[in-house]
Amino acid sequence: MEKTPTAGARLFSRDRLKQSLFFYAALAPAFLVVVFLTVYPIVNVFYDSLFSVDFIRETRDFVGLTNFVRIAGESVFQVSFWNTVVFTATASISEVALGVILALLFYGEFRGKRVSMIIIVFPMMISTMVICAIWQTMYHFEIGIFNYLLDTIGLWPIGWLINPDLALYSIVLVDLWQWTPFAFLIVQAGLNSIPKEYFESAAIDGARYSQIVRRITLPILWSQILLVLMLRTIDTFRLFDKVYALTGGGPANATRTVSHFIYYEGFRFFNLGRASAASVYVLLFVSILAVLYIRNILKERT
Amino acid sequence: MQQGGVMKRGILSWIVLGLILLLVLAPIYWMLVTALKTPREVIRPEPTLFPETLTLGNFITVFRDGIWLNFFNSVIVAAFAVGISIILAFFAAYALARHRFPLRLNSIFLMWVLAVRILPPIVVAVPLFTVFDQIGLMNTRLGLIISYQVYTLPYSIWIVFGFVRSLPIEFEEAARIDGASRGRLVMSVVAPLLRSGVVATSIFALVLAWNEFLFALVFVRSPNLLTLPVVISRYIGEYVTLWGPLMAIGLLATVPILLFSGYFYRRLTTGFTMSLK
Repeated sequence: MEKTPTAGARLFSRDRLKQSLFFYAALAPAFLVVVFLTVYPIVNVFYDSLFSVDFIRETRDFVGLTNFVRIAGESVFQVSFWNTVVFTATASISEVALGVILALLFYGEFRGKRVSMIIIVFPMMISTMVICAIWQTMYHFEIGIFNYLLDTIGLWPIGWLINPDLALYSIVLVDLWQWTPFAFLIVQAGLNSIPKEYFESAAIDGARYSQIVRRITLPILWSQILLVLMLRTIDTFRLFDKVYALTGGGPANATRTVSHFIYYEGFRFFNLGRASAASVYVLLFVSILAVLYIRNILKERT
Repeated sequence: MQQGGVMKRGILSWIVLGLILLLVLAPIYWMLVTALKTPREVIRPEPTLFPETLTLGNFITVFRDGIWLNFFNSVIVAAFAVGISIILAFFAAYALARHRFPLRLNSIFLMWVLAVRILPPIVVAVPLFTVFDQIGLMNTRLGLIISYQVYTLPYSIWIVFGFVRSLPIEFEEAARIDGASRGRLVMSVVAPLLRSGVVATSIFALVLAWNEFLFALVFVRSPNLLTLPVVISRYIGEYVTLWGPLMAIGLLATVPILLFSGYFYRRLTTGFTMSLK
């Protein structure tokens, strides 16, 4: 279209300019905060990982990829990574599985459903540290309630948090208690959105309950289940506070996670170069998750 | 079998339901009774299911230790962190939904916002520590409020963006024809329409901020600036058998939420469902 500089058009473009100024001003604050808090630190992590930085002595020497090579060869880091993967896999898969089972159990109307659901959601409304405090007392080897109950039925006490083979799974159990409700909420929302006719016609055809679940319910819910699994994977992979409060990474590094490893390097030893190198490893791993996750979300949105 | 998709609700399913509720409630009950026990009863090798002597001594102890100050810190930091996030997210989400920025900035920024949610916070904690140290944000409530934006801002932007996008543009066009400026329009047309969505988002962000532990642990050192989660973690670590006061703090931090659980439940479900999409 040919434009002629009439008074009207000039007014129009001035208005357009004001319009886009408004939009830039609206986006700018959030944009700057996000860049400052995420883009800048990530660039910094990549940069610092190439140096041997000592925060206390304020020295900084370029060491190339030394940090990466060293850390990858250290058993503590390998163990931390492995622990994180084990924790992430066990916790997120069991939470989602339990969530699905609960959702199936809660399908339909029955007396006391609403109250029961509100109660089931309690754990995820309680602060993580409070939850850790409660479980810490229950897990206590000598005076905890779990070992007392085991004792009364004639079993040996269990070193919930002090047995290296068990401690990580004890933390999984705490995470399960806290976050299974989350999986449950999402899955049951999905379940309720499936038209009832699907189930009814299958039942008329004489399908058993287990067949209906396997052939109809789960396939329909599959994308939702994957999404919850993804969200739980993301959250469990950053595991830090439960480890910090319950075991401190022990016994013998049995519960040390990568987040905890980086925390120690960065804030206990003030070894920023090594902390950054470990962070880069985490970033690389997480970016794989990010690609999967974003693809999934975008598919869901469109 | 009554209906196709409904499991037959026999005695067994009621027992299972009862067991589930027991599993959920038992730890919470344990916190309650431990908080009401005397220090001597707490460390007895045979735990009592109900306190022999009910006492409020643990609550008196923690209040004397100044827990109200940490409570105050948690409330202030969480409230401001969420308030700032919501305001920034509201305007940003509106701009992203209604204006096409150059260089595909819209989709790049939104992707980044999604990706950031996957980032383990420890990764940014180390570099932020150095910056905060240089610009004097260490050991301040403001520093915590700013750092919490790492969690709350991306969540809020993403969720509020979803709400704005689902808003029909006709309302705004009508207001524009009436000659309302863009600023007026956002405040008097868009904001009221988004109210319930924004409330859901803020409750969700509030839970995140109230729970935050890592940044509160590394960016604040003075005892009078600590937030509740950090104080609780210190109790867990250092005073191993001071369970009475520990559970008393836990209860204080939990009761306000549980009292409103019905309301929170409704809001949280909206928030969670939105955050997925």
